[in-house]
Amino acid sequence: MNLESFLLLSLVLFSLGLFAVLAHRNLIAVLIGVELMMNAASLNLMAFNRFSVTDPVTGQVFVLIIIGLAAAEVAIFLSIILNLYRTRRTIDAEQLTELKG
Amino acid sequence: MEQAVQYLFVGLVLIGGGMAALSRHVLYNIIGLGISLFGLAGLFLQLGSPFVAAMQLLIYLGGITVAIVFAMMLSIAMTLDPPPRTPVKTGFAAIAALTFGVGLHGLISTATFATAPPAPADAWAVAHIGSALLERYNLVFETLSVVLLLAIIGAILIARPDRTGKVA
Amino acid sequence: MEPLSLILLTTVAPLAAFTLAILLLMQQPRLAQIVVIGGGTLSLAGAALLLFQGPMAPLRYLWFTSGDMQLRFGFLFDGISLMFGVAVALITLCVMVYSLGYMGHDPSKTRYFAMLALFEWAMLSFVYAVDLLQSFIFWELVGLASFFLIGFWYEKPSATAAAKKAFLMTRVGDVGLFIGVLLVLQVAGHFDIPGLLAADTGLVAQAKPAVLTMITLLIFVGIVGKSAQFPLHTWLPDAMEGPTPVSALLHSATMVAAGVYLMARLHPLFMGSETTLGVILVIASITALLAATMAMVATDIKKVLAYSSISQLGFMLLGLAAGSLFAGVFHLITHALFKALLFLCSGLFIHHFESNDLAQIGRRGGRRMRFATAGLLVGGAALAGIPPLGGFFSKEEIFAALGQDGVTIYSIVALLAAFLTAYYTFRMIFLVTRPAHMEQPAPEDHAHGHGRAEPWSMALPVLLLTVGAAIAGFWGSAIASGLGIGAAHHSLASMAPAVLVVIAGVLLAWMDFGRQSAARVGFIARIPALEKLFNNGWYVDAFYDAVVVRTTMLIATILHAVENKLFDGSFDRLGFSVLGIGAGTTRLQNGWVQFYAGWTVILIGVAAAYIGMGG
Repeated sequence: MNLESFLLLSLVLFSLGLFAVLAHRNLIAVLIGVELMMNAASLNLMAFNRFSVTDPVTGQVFVLIIIGLAAAEVAIFLSIILNLYRTRRTIDAEQLTELKG
Repeated sequence: MEQAVQYLFVGLVLIGGGMAALSRHVLYNIIGLGISLFGLAGLFLQLGSPFVAAMQLLIYLGGITVAIVFAMMLSIAMTLDPPPRTPVKTGFAAIAALTFGVGLHGLISTATFATAPPAPADAWAVAHIGSALLERYNLVFETLSVVLLLAIIGAILIARPDRTGKVA
Repeated sequence: MEPLSLILLTTVAPLAAFTLAILLLMQQPRLAQIVVIGGGTLSLAGAALLLFQGPMAPLRYLWFTSGDMQLRFGFLFDGISLMFGVAVALITLCVMVYSLGYMGHDPSKTRYFAMLALFEWAMLSFVYAVDLLQSFIFWELVGLASFFLIGFWYEKPSATAAAKKAFLMTRVGDVGLFIGVLLVLQVAGHFDIPGLLAADTGLVAQAKPAVLTMITLLIFVGIVGKSAQFPLHTWLPDAMEGPTPVSALLHSATMVAAGVYLMARLHPLFMGSETTLGVILVIASITALLAATMAMVATDIKKVLAYSSISQLGFMLLGLAAGSLFAGVFHLITHALFKALLFLCSGLFIHHFESNDLAQIGRRGGRRMRFATAGLLVGGAALAGIPPLGGFFSKEEIFAALGQDGVTIYSIVALLAAFLTAYYTFRMIFLVTRPAHMEQPAPEDHAHGHGRAEPWSMALPVLLLTVGAAIAGFWGSAIASGLGIGAAHHSLASMAPAVLVVIAGVLLAWMDFGRQSAARVGFIARIPALEKLFNNGWYVDAFYDAVVVRTTMLIATILHAVENKLFDGSFDRLGFSVLGIGAGTTRLQNGWVQFYAGWTVILIGVAAAYIGMGG
């Protein structure tokens, strides 16, 4: 597999994540979509590192940091979901419309 | 053989991703995410980075996915009926995702990427990553640890009941 | 004493009283009255001492320089200003003292007294002004103070309307006056009154005849407004809405007299233009006659006096325009005394009976009020021109001035007006003093809360002015010498027509109103059309209403519509369309984050495709 095919795979994964984020009403499913997109980005970085960058370490460090940030993000996201659920009894994205104009 | 393993992982990624993105059940979404992450870890291994693959399995599959499952159970979203989909919204999301995918695919297919000379055999060793994290990327590493600490504190603050003792 | 300190005493004392009263003494009406009357007394003392010292060189102080033009502030001490200043200060003081009784129960009398002081300051500063622009400034201040005084009872809508009317109508004249003053500046380059009047270097020598006519006519427009001459006279009867002492002050010696005074002040200029003099003669004779006819039918005692003021001002202008400065100034001063007296007497009646109606005052026993009746008799006789009272001599001077070129239409009109004056004056006197029957004073009249019918504070000024009006006729030679003119002596034969018309007028009034069997209806009632005409003031107000007011309203309505529909409308439409766009775009903000994100993603995709295609 060459760089282009990895990029294509990553693009498909990213688009799936995007669809999940845009389509799902359940906030947890939305979070899963976000995770998919992050992983697509990770795959992208690894592939670039493997095929077109001389320094072998940068991409891996990048991915490691993404994993770490993803952990932080998930922690915050889940706590927000819990809070929402406690205060509003719902985690439906379509009912959280306080910013409606 | 190697080719076949590679396609297996690619297939796992796609199938998992499809499950995660398209299923209406949150549990299936999580399972799909897990499958997809597992496939990605395999691909990382294929790309020559066993350490990152291991981290992917450990943190993502072992930590994040499990955390999501916990949250799901806490918010009893699982026991609820899956909310019905509105066709307009689904269609809109599909159009948006497709537009993005096609647009970016056009970008990828027309772009030319530089190719690097093959790296030495030991270039992807764990020792390099370790020294890079502690030397070149020390600041990033430390910052990440601070971010994680803050995220944990923030998560606790946000998730815990009100100080008034009122439990919703 | 120094003329400077005297003039400062005269003019600054009322100003200081005004400032003190309005700033510090709003809560202490008693103290405010003392301060204001003290200021008036000091002012009168200063003016009297100045008159005592006789004419002096004017004082001038540079105010500011603008280009070649130097604006000066200063004081002019010649015969006219010295005598008139004393008259103003005297009558103002009388009115102030009188107001102690008349306004004693008014809750906001501090404001009233403060305004009196303001008025006195403005009027005296106008009288002594050495600079035409200074004159104009104080002329306007007089108008402002009279606005406050006429509209003193601002809770009465008619009073505020009258104040506005007075202010606006005099403003019409003041526009003309201001243009005239500016023309003077353009021609002469300065405003100095003695310089303008100088025979060899003054305005008459400098200006072309047409320009001089223009200037004098424009100044005369201002005089028409201020002195309530036809056709701008209608504000004066309405101004009777003010307190009666205010009427006595404004319509005898000060406010309306300011116009006549300005003409006397600038008399040489007016003498330089035959055209202007002709115009003034026409306007003044129309006014004298017109106002006299209106006074014949008025039933309100103050209205009678108001119309007679207009008429007498016409007489003064007639005298001045006929070329006799002395006649005009003499009549100005005698009129100031007897008209102030008459107004104060009417105030006594009104204060006691709380009615303005002549017949009612008579029925309820007007003649039992001794001071008021005495004042009414003396003042009325002086107004009618009964020898040897004040009005007779001064009117005689006017007739003499008018008749110096033989009998003209003006002298006939003036005689007719004098006849009517005698008639309506004695109509007023007879209606008050010889009613057909008298009601016995009801006992509760005494418990009315006024105490004495004629308190001393009100009786004393009346008494003083009665004496003044009685003897003013003999000051003719003194006034003439003060003006630097030798008083001409008129033969008895030349006085005959004036005496005859007065006697005829009094007799007719006796026939109509005085004798026991009289009908108490004027002879004019037999001609209903004329009576209606007079009663409605020759329809001048109706004409203004129909033409000026309507036209203005029409224009205003059109402009309002233009403003509303065109300007407001288009801006409204702009605003509403912005609102509409906003309302439309709000619908995009449906609150779904996913919807927003979707649009963002689509945009990024389109941008990527565009870049990918090599755009």
